[in-house]
Amino acid sequence: MRGEPIEAIKVGLETMVAALRQDPYALETVHLSMITFNRYPEQILPLTSLEQVQVPAIAQPAAGGTHLGEALEYVCKKVGEEVKKGDREQKGDWMPLLFILCDGRASDGQLFTQILPEVQRSHFGSIIVCLVGNKLQPENAKLLTDKIVHLDTTDGPTFRKFFAWVTVAVCEGNRSLGSTVGEPPLPPPPPEVNTVI
Amino acid sequence: MANTIRITATDGTPVAFVDEIIGSGTMKDVYFSPDKSYVVAFFKQKQDGNSKDRLENITGSYKDKIFNQPGGEYWQDLYCWPDKIVEYNGKLGLICPTYQKNFFFAKGSKNDDFLGIKGKEKEGKWFSSAKNQNTFLAPEERGDWFKYFQICIRISRAVRRLHAAGLAHSDLSYKNVLVDPTTGRASIIDIDGLVVPGKYPPDVLGTPDFIAPEVIATLHLAANDPSRKLPCIATDRHALSVMVYMYLLYRHPLRGGKVYDLDSRKDEELSMGSQALFIEHPTNTINRVKLKELQPSQLPQSDPEKIPYTVCGPYLKKLFDRSLIDSLHNPAIRPTAGEWEEALLKTVDLMQPCSNPSCWHKWFVFDNTTKPRCPFCKTEYKGVLPLINLYSSRRAGSFTPDDYRLMVYNNQYLYPWHVNRNISPNEKLTADQKKPVGYFVFHQNKWLLVNQRLHGMEDNTEKKAIPIGQAVELTEGRQILLSKEEGGRLAIIQLVQG
Repeated sequence: MRGEPIEAIKVGLETMVAALRQDPYALETVHLSMITFNRYPEQILPLTSLEQVQVPAIAQPAAGGTHLGEALEYVCKKVGEEVKKGDREQKGDWMPLLFILCDGRASDGQLFTQILPEVQRSHFGSIIVCLVGNKLQPENAKLLTDKIVHLDTTDGPTFRKFFAWVTVAVCEGNRSLGSTVGEPPLPPPPPEVNTVI
Repeated sequence: MANTIRITATDGTPVAFVDEIIGSGTMKDVYFSPDKSYVVAFFKQKQDGNSKDRLENITGSYKDKIFNQPGGEYWQDLYCWPDKIVEYNGKLGLICPTYQKNFFFAKGSKNDDFLGIKGKEKEGKWFSSAKNQNTFLAPEERGDWFKYFQICIRISRAVRRLHAAGLAHSDLSYKNVLVDPTTGRASIIDIDGLVVPGKYPPDVLGTPDFIAPEVIATLHLAANDPSRKLPCIATDRHALSVMVYMYLLYRHPLRGGKVYDLDSRKDEELSMGSQALFIEHPTNTINRVKLKELQPSQLPQSDPEKIPYTVCGPYLKKLFDRSLIDSLHNPAIRPTAGEWEEALLKTVDLMQPCSNPSCWHKWFVFDNTTKPRCPFCKTEYKGVLPLINLYSSRRAGSFTPDDYRLMVYNNQYLYPWHVNRNISPNEKLTADQKKPVGYFVFHQNKWLLVNQRLHGMEDNTEKKAIPIGQAVELTEGRQILLSKEEGGRLAIIQLVQG
C-alpha cells in the first residue's frame, strides 16, 4: 500500500481513537498497539492505554514484500511481552483482538505456515482480517480466521466506515448480550465492506 | 444532505425521519425526526408476530396502565417510553421521544472537553466508574453525593412501577439508564425489550456487569431447557442492586481479586456467575479487591478498605447484605425495587453536608457515632448536631419507634412525610404535600425548628402549643408532637456533640 491509502488509514485510525475515547467503557479498558509490516515488522505504537494513544506517523514501505508470517510471529512475541497473563493470584488482561489489514499475500509462505499454531496458542479473543485492494488472496486469511472482510476501494470514506465498524466491534464488550447461546456476534460489516465468505 | 422520509405510523398519525443513522445498538438503528423532537428506531432484524404483539402492548395498554392514571404524568421524566409503531421497507420501528436536554453533556470532559463528549448522551457508565470520574469528567458534570442518591431513588422508583405492572425491563444497566448528576435526574431508556413472564420471552440476556449470576451460570444450557434462567423481575432486582452500589461507590460489587480460571473468558463466567461473591463479604474474604491491581486513577473509590459499603448508612447496608450476600444466588428473596426506594429515601434523611468546601462528595451519611465525621475527606463535624428520632402511634396514647431518623442541618426543611407516617415521598404526593411544613435553623447558638404550616404542633415536654410562625428550641430529650392527625408523628430530639 502506498500514498493515499496509507494517509486514509492514518485518518481512519485517528477517527477510531477519537470515537473510542467517547465511550466510557472503552476508556476504562481498551489498550491499543500498532504494528506495520513489509519485509520487516515494526511496532509503531507499543501497547498503550486509550487515553494516552497518539496515532503515530505511518511510514511509506521502503522495502517490497509482505512478510505476513514474520509479522504474525512478531505480534505473538509482543502479545507475550505486553499482555498481562493471569495466574492463580492475579487477574490477567482481557484476550486481545487482532485486526490485520493486508492484501492477503505472505511473501514468507513457509514461516506463515509454521507460525499458524502459535497464533492459535496466543489466545486472541478474535482475529479479524481486512483484505484491502483488488488483487486479493483470501487463502492465507482463511487459515487464520473465518472473520474476513474485504475493502474494494482504499479511499477515505471506505476506511472511515471500516474503522467505525472496528470501533463498534471493540466496544462490543458492554453491549447487551443476545438471548441465544454462544458468544455475541460481531456487528455486521458496513455496506462498503464485503465479507469474503 | 440526507433525505427526509415521510411515513404513517400504525395508529394513522404522520411520522417523518431524516435518512441518516444517528446511533446504532445491538438490536436497532436510530434516526432523528426533522425537528429532532423524537427518534425513529428500526429493528435490524425482522420481528416475529409475538414481538410485534409485544410492541403493540408497550405502545398501547402497558403505556396506558402507567401514564394514563391519576398522577401518570410523573412518569414522563422517568422513562423514555415508545409512543408509536411504524413499518417501512419491511422493517419494524418505534417512535420514542428525544431525551431531555439535561441528559446531554453541557461541558463534557476536563481541559475544555479534550475527549469531545460535549453534547453526547450522559450514559451512566461515565459516572459509575472511579477512573472516569477522577480522570476525565469536567468537575461541573460530576455532581455531589446527594445527587447520586436522588438518581438511585428515581431509578428504583421507575423499576418499582414497571414491576408493579407485571413487567420486567430485562436489560437494566448503566447503558440503558441515562443519569444527570447535575440535577439528580434519571431516565430509563430501551423499554422495548420488556419481558412478561410466560408471554413475552426476553430478547437479550442483559449487559455484562448486570446480568444475574443464575443467568450466567445457566448460559450453556439450551434455550428451552427448564433449568435455564432468563431475565425476569428477579434478575432486574439484581441489576438494580448492582447499579445502586456502583452509583454510590464507583466500583463493581462482584469484581474482586479472586481468580477462578486462568482462561479470562471462563474466569469472567465464573466470577459473575456460579462463583459470584461480594467483594466486601464479611466472612468470606477470598474475593477482596487487591490494591496492587488498581490503577492510581481508580483511587480512593475502588478501595473498599478506605471506603467500605457501610458509608451508605444502616438502611442500605441491610439491603446490600440481603442483595449481595443472602440472595445473590437465591433470586426469590432479593430486595424489591420498592425496598430500595424506601431505604434510599430514609438514608437521604440521615445525610449531612460536609463542612469541608473542597470535599468532592459534599455530603455524607451520619454514622451513628458520637464523633461524626465525613468518611470521604475525614473532616470532623464541629458543634452540636441535632438528630430527630421519629415515633408514631398505633394505639391512642402510646408511640413506638418508626426506625426513622432525621439528621438536622442549617436551613433544612421538614416535610409532610416526616410529620405523618401515612405519607410517603413518592409519585403520589399532592402538590400541597410537596411543600415544606417547617424548617431547621441554627440561630444565635441555638438549634430551632420553625413551624410554618403545622396546625397541631405541640411541645410535649413543656405541654404547650407551637403555633405557626413560632419556633421551638431543639434540646436533648425534648418531645415534639408534629401532628395530631391519624398517623401523626412524635419527634424526640437527641443532640450529638461533635
